[in-house]
Amino acid sequence: MSSQSTSMSEKITYSEAFEELQKIVSEIEDGEISVDDLSEKVKRAAFLIQFCKTKLTSTEEDVNKILKTLEMPD
Amino acid sequence: MTEQLENRRIFSLLEVTQSVQRTLAERYSSSFWVKAEMNKLNHYPHSGHCYPDLVEKQEGRVIAQLRSVLWKDDYHRINHNFLRVLKTPLKDGIKMLFCAKITFDPIHGLSLRIIDIDPVFSLGELEREKQEAIDRLKSEGIFDRNRKLTLPLLPQRIAVISVQTSKGYADFLKVMENNPYGFKFFHMLFPSLLQGERAVESIIHQLQQVARVQKHFDVVAIIRGGGGEVGLASFNNVSLAREICKFPLPVITGIGHATNETVSEMVAHKNAITPTDLANFLIERFQQSYFPLLQSEQKLLSVLRNRLGQDRRNMLTTAKYFRSVTENVILRHQHVLRASTATILRGTRQQMKKASDSTAEQLVGLQSSIAAFYNLRSSDVDLAEISLKKNLSRNWSQYSQQIDAVARVVRSLDPKNILRRGFTISRADGKLISSVDQVPPTATIETEFVDGKVTSHVKSINKYEREDNV
Repeated sequence: MSSQSTSMSEKITYSEAFEELQKIVSEIEDGEISVDDLSEKVKRAAFLIQFCKTKLTSTEEDVNKILKTLEMPD
Repeated sequence: MTEQLENRRIFSLLEVTQSVQRTLAERYSSSFWVKAEMNKLNHYPHSGHCYPDLVEKQEGRVIAQLRSVLWKDDYHRINHNFLRVLKTPLKDGIKMLFCAKITFDPIHGLSLRIIDIDPVFSLGELEREKQEAIDRLKSEGIFDRNRKLTLPLLPQRIAVISVQTSKGYADFLKVMENNPYGFKFFHMLFPSLLQGERAVESIIHQLQQVARVQKHFDVVAIIRGGGGEVGLASFNNVSLAREICKFPLPVITGIGHATNETVSEMVAHKNAITPTDLANFLIERFQQSYFPLLQSEQKLLSVLRNRLGQDRRNMLTTAKYFRSVTENVILRHQHVLRASTATILRGTRQQMKKASDSTAEQLVGLQSSIAAFYNLRSSDVDLAEISLKKNLSRNWSQYSQQIDAVARVVRSLDPKNILRRGFTISRADGKLISSVDQVPPTATIETEFVDGKVTSHVKSINKYEREDNV
């Protein structure tokens, strides 16, 4: 399975981000989180949402890079 | 024209070939059905005729081969049938059942003239080959392999195997690029032949190319459109299907409708059938993530609002309660303070009064002591004064008498009284002289009388002999 490189400091795939987000949302919904943790989790969730949204609407692959690789002998 | 040379009969080539021709024509006068493989069709477009190479193979080795001829009109008719039944034209490498006649002519030699080809047989052959391919792949254990791969949550990077000018490819791009959600895909075309003799090797080659850069992609899409059902036969090829089975990325096919699915479509991760559906499929995958994403966002926001609202309300309530409790405490303390202050003041005043009273008493006591003491002393002083006065007046009259006496003496000693008695005071140069020594010989002297002064010149000086003057 290909993993996608990102320009963020943390290397995370879309699937991982999505899963983590779902987890956080259900934790928050259950009301299990204290006010202190809430702030942390919300920040993280907001980051993940932004990350996923960005992934959906942009991509960093470069055709030229791929062509270069293909031009090289096997 | 037979020649005779010595004893031998000599024939021309033409005679020989014509003889063969006559013999064969006699022997093989009717047509018959033959089963063989058409190795190569050898169609010549400018004449329209074909000269297929026919072979029979056994265990991969050629055991018989013969050239054949298919005249233009026959070719057209047969091809048309083939297209109708097999959805594929006559092409290299098909096994066929055909009706033919032996021909021989001096120029072209021996040949088999193909009169008709039975498409149903070939169809059966194709089906057989297809089934063989399926069986082979299943026995190799790879038939399901590509289908078992997991499609990424976000199949964003697509390697497209298609023809640049394909309508199917154009449709695919249109759907992808105009998706209403603004999803962004990365796709790269790996151009390939999709029909004809070279399709299989071309597609396989491109699959291998994609494999070299597989980390840049999430899926492979094989797209073909607009050709109808013709030309799908390549996709039944076992080598192509095998390549798909073993491919490391999921392969999705969108190569058009077929009455029965080709092997490649069967082994692909998904057969989307049309290029448009393939594109929609990918967009749907995105949506499957996108909507939960939006939902999560909403949930997060609403939960937050609730929680924060709740927390804020709690906070306010606690703050109010805190405030009222504190106010009470402060009030209470203020009361206590005031009471204490009052008490202190009262106490202090009392103390001070007591102290001041006692001081006053003492003062009075002191005053009276002093007064008493003073009285005592005052009477002493009075007594002393009286006695002093008495003494003084006694002594005073004594002194006064003494002073009078002395005064009388002094009066009598007054120079004036002396002058009255006839004595005089002599002065020279203003200085009193009491001795003749003090008188300068040629000076003037001044003599003072009781009632005036006389100035006289010294005539002579006469000094007495020393005697005591009393």
